[in-house]
Amino acid sequence: MTAHCVQRSIAVAACLLAWVLFVGTAAADETCNSPYIAKLIKGQEDYVYVWTLGVEGVGDGSDKLVTIDVHPKSKTYGKVLGSVSVGTRGEAHHMGFTDDRRFIWAGGLAEPKIYVFDIATDPARPRLVKTIGDMADKTGYLGPHTYYALPGRMLVQALSNTRDKGGVTGMALYNSKGEFIAAYPMPTEGGGDGYGYDLAVNPKKNILLTSSFTGYTNYMRPLGELVKDPEAMKKFGNTMVAWDLKAMKPTKVFSVPGAPLEIRWSLNPADNWAITAAALTSKLWLVKQDQGVWQAKEVGTIGDPAKIPLPVDISITRDGKGLWVNTFMDGTTRYFDLSNPEAPRQTYEKVTGKQINMISQSWDGTRLYITSSLLANWDKGGADNEQFLRAFAWDGKELKPAFEVDFAKERLGRAHHMKLGSRALKSP
Amino acid sequence: VRLRAAALAAWLIGAAAPVLAHDVAPLPALDYEPPAPGTYTLHRIMAAPDGEVLDLDGRPQRLRTFTRERITLLGFVYTTCVDPDGCPLAYRVFDALRHAVGDRPGLRDKVRLVTLSFDPERDTPAAMRAYAGTRTTERGLGVPWHFLTTRSSRALAPLLEGFGQDVRSPRGLSNARSRSELSHVLKVFLIDRDGFVREVYSSTFLHPRTVLNDIETLVMNP
Repeated sequence: MTAHCVQRSIAVAACLLAWVLFVGTAAADETCNSPYIAKLIKGQEDYVYVWTLGVEGVGDGSDKLVTIDVHPKSKTYGKVLGSVSVGTRGEAHHMGFTDDRRFIWAGGLAEPKIYVFDIATDPARPRLVKTIGDMADKTGYLGPHTYYALPGRMLVQALSNTRDKGGVTGMALYNSKGEFIAAYPMPTEGGGDGYGYDLAVNPKKNILLTSSFTGYTNYMRPLGELVKDPEAMKKFGNTMVAWDLKAMKPTKVFSVPGAPLEIRWSLNPADNWAITAAALTSKLWLVKQDQGVWQAKEVGTIGDPAKIPLPVDISITRDGKGLWVNTFMDGTTRYFDLSNPEAPRQTYEKVTGKQINMISQSWDGTRLYITSSLLANWDKGGADNEQFLRAFAWDGKELKPAFEVDFAKERLGRAHHMKLGSRALKSP
Repeated sequence: VRLRAAALAAWLIGAAAPVLAHDVAPLPALDYEPPAPGTYTLHRIMAAPDGEVLDLDGRPQRLRTFTRERITLLGFVYTTCVDPDGCPLAYRVFDALRHAVGDRPGLRDKVRLVTLSFDPERDTPAAMRAYAGTRTTERGLGVPWHFLTTRSSRALAPLLEGFGQDVRSPRGLSNARSRSELSHVLKVFLIDRDGFVREVYSSTFLHPRTVLNDIETLVMNP
């Protein structure tokens, strides 16, 4: 399916250009955390932590965790409170909380390192307390992407490998102290392509779902080169995998063409389905049981696939009735009514930037945060290369701007993944 | 396996032995078929920490006395906890397992249960004795269940840190119900005979069937 999709894309020049510009992103917000994280912020969040890509010549040029005050009653509302630089530039991408929400694990796609930030001692001032550097030696994986808390552990989905820097990769399991436990390669048999991207768990059903993207040789390659290489363009994931969570063994490979990225399980206790967006085909896919058998099926379209809007992040509402979708190319934030997950229906859209990537929402869904950067080599150029965090209020009808932090003006870098923080989570 | 699971499920529905601190209401059935014992690997997650604890008579003991030589299921609780998905759930699961393991001659002498308080200020040895009720004196089932506390927060701290058990006062957390409530992620630890944690359960994954399967897996593949 990959080759077919790519060939079709290559046949259309505009499609080709857009295809290259898509890419991955990942989980964010309060409604999209691991179910093993108990301390959800169900009131007003105080901070947004932004994992930010360093840009040469901007500030210290290094990747950094930026803390922004987002409490409307604060004197520094909408301002940068500080940042913690990791001292290197490694394509900062995603992050995740430990199960006790005392630490954030974050990493870059260009290196096998994982940075651990303490956000409990002083939630307003995260501290870099540890760097985990043994993932490559222990697993051969490169580019840690998704950090998903399990009880006492962190399951890390990588995107690539150190052998050929292609897309065949796996998951690395660490304990919460950062000590390596085990590696789980993505399946390459039974229809599996070996690629990885996001992961998400439904404990009630003992199921882990994974999705698939591409490897280092593609995601670190300049766009102009990549689009001219048809063979490279074929090397994108077209599968999702269901795993027996307890046994950590793959049980079924689903064909989901076009790089399925973020995975969101409905948080409604009565539901047992997950939804994802395939970036290249601009389709929504539903994973649910049909007569006891897990199935994946296409259920909706995002924008005009012919224009390759590139859905790069999704955020599900806490009741599983709505889904926000950010499309990078057209800078549009869309809302889908998921009352019937078998037939998502778009009910709203708004252009929120010249390029947009991540979207995070508060637990009650009334506050949304959007950032701009996809990948250093894939972001747009010139005036279109906006770098920001934009906050919006959502009243169910309209997204209204609340504040904006200009990451270029602040000399911070490229704003990517977000996590919410609260001073109430302060812990000695 | 299915017969055994069905028998356990039937027992769980029928068992409702009263306890002092918590009612043992029937637990819901699992919504999936867990993998059979021995078909999967329980990796060593970390070494269980050691430190001083107090038994029900107030005597100081080393925690390692209760985490070696047998497969140990250890859970942190505080006796005034009312969150149904917290300490009371752990109590119900422990109670169910006490019966399930006790019914199996091949397991009952290989397993122990440990309930350790993370609220030493209120959970004195006397309070823990009241919390335990008759659980420590019922010898018929043959599965030891130890109720422990600590002398002070200072004595408790390295144990919490070692297990990665977070506890904090509510201070405005939206789900806090009272000033006496301690905010924590429920964690129950399965520890092998050599003192290594092999599984950690939170409330969304703590069920007698999965724990029993894990215990049998450890017996088959220590």
